[in-house]
Amino acid sequence: MANLKDIQRKIKSVSNTQKTTRAMKLVSTAKLRRAEELAKRSRLYSDKLNQVIAEIAGRIKCHKVGGIDNRCFIDIDNPKTVDIIFVTADKGLCGGFNIQTIKAVNKLLAEYKEKNVKVRLSGVGKKGIEFFKYNETELFESVVGLSSKPDKKASDEFILNSIEDFKDGKIDAVHIVYNGYKNMITQELHVNKILPVDTEQFECGEAEKSSMLEIEAQDEEMMLDSLVNRYVEYSMYYSLIDSVAAEHSARMQAMDAATNNAKEMVKSLNVEFNKARQAAITTELIEIISGVESMK
Amino acid sequence: MDTFKLEIVTPNGLIFEDEALSVTLPGQEGEFGVLAGHSSISTLLEAGVVDIEKTDKVVESVLINWGVVNVDEEKVVVLVEGAVAIRGESESDVARALESAKELVKSIEDSGAAIATVSAKLENAAQKLL
Repeated sequence: MANLKDIQRKIKSVSNTQKTTRAMKLVSTAKLRRAEELAKRSRLYSDKLNQVIAEIAGRIKCHKVGGIDNRCFIDIDNPKTVDIIFVTADKGLCGGFNIQTIKAVNKLLAEYKEKNVKVRLSGVGKKGIEFFKYNETELFESVVGLSSKPDKKASDEFILNSIEDFKDGKIDAVHIVYNGYKNMITQELHVNKILPVDTEQFECGEAEKSSMLEIEAQDEEMMLDSLVNRYVEYSMYYSLIDSVAAEHSARMQAMDAATNNAKEMVKSLNVEFNKARQAAITTELIEIISGVESMK
Repeated sequence: MDTFKLEIVTPNGLIFEDEALSVTLPGQEGEFGVLAGHSSISTLLEAGVVDIEKTDKVVESVLINWGVVNVDEEKVVVLVEGAVAIRGESESDVARALESAKELVKSIEDSGAAIATVSAKLENAAQKLL
């Protein structure tokens, strides 16, 4: 039989935990609102930019316009070195949010390892970085603090190396892996191949054939270059924004579950406490009665 | 006169989405106008003023700092990084918009000569409104 005092102490501790988790949930809900707003506004721009890039890529693929041989638009069949960039949170306590991203990265790593492709792994977010450090996987670049407070400038700097190395031919592909926001209760894992621009989904249909690509600027290469830079930079920045929104929604959910669990636990502990109390009273009564009986 | 669909998108959301009669854009090779039925074209935009002729023939000006435009037969999508629309109900509204537009112009670096032209255009656009 558990001691009454022990149970009481347990109840107190669990309800304290409950208070903490509830507070964390409220904080996440507030932060989520802001992050969600930002993500929603940026999503439109990001979608449009992707659309423009995809269209250009598709037209280049279908027409082989003007002998453009920009690396960014050509599928590379046998990559030798690839960049994988992951985005995780800086903090834990958000359910499977970080581990899902890490698992996806590991899967991608394994795939490339099988093909004997060298991988340069870069990451944003303390949790992912810690995981790969612990597993002694070398990180090419890592940034802490960017995933909780996305900043366009810092994110541009972070991705710059990958863009330049890709253009110089040092690497053959760039992937971004992150957990994005879908709605209040679901996150969606994204494994995006941002360079070279994915043209596989682009069928050379009639519409594409009929509409000609005409690039106004004298220097086509320069225009594409500058466009691709913006595209990659914005993709990176958008992943960060999307990831923050997802992180908060994941944490909100995790903390909601924790609060509910704590509530359940307090309930069952209360039942246990009452049982123990009743047992104690019964024992005491029996003692008194038997004492009286023996006096007769 | 035919109209086409015009969208101006910034990282902060959509700032213009409507039918338009024509639009004048500050391309890298110089200004160019787009009417309905224009052939497909994709090009970069420089810092400058986008003049939109709306269906009621009112011209609205939007200052941009960098952008990309994708024109096809029925639609024009302008993607810009930073934009300020020069519009307002009253004089003070227009003045305020002009103020923030000038700030955006200032933030644009390394296009010394262009800034003067852009500023002049801004003043012009504001004058028309007043």
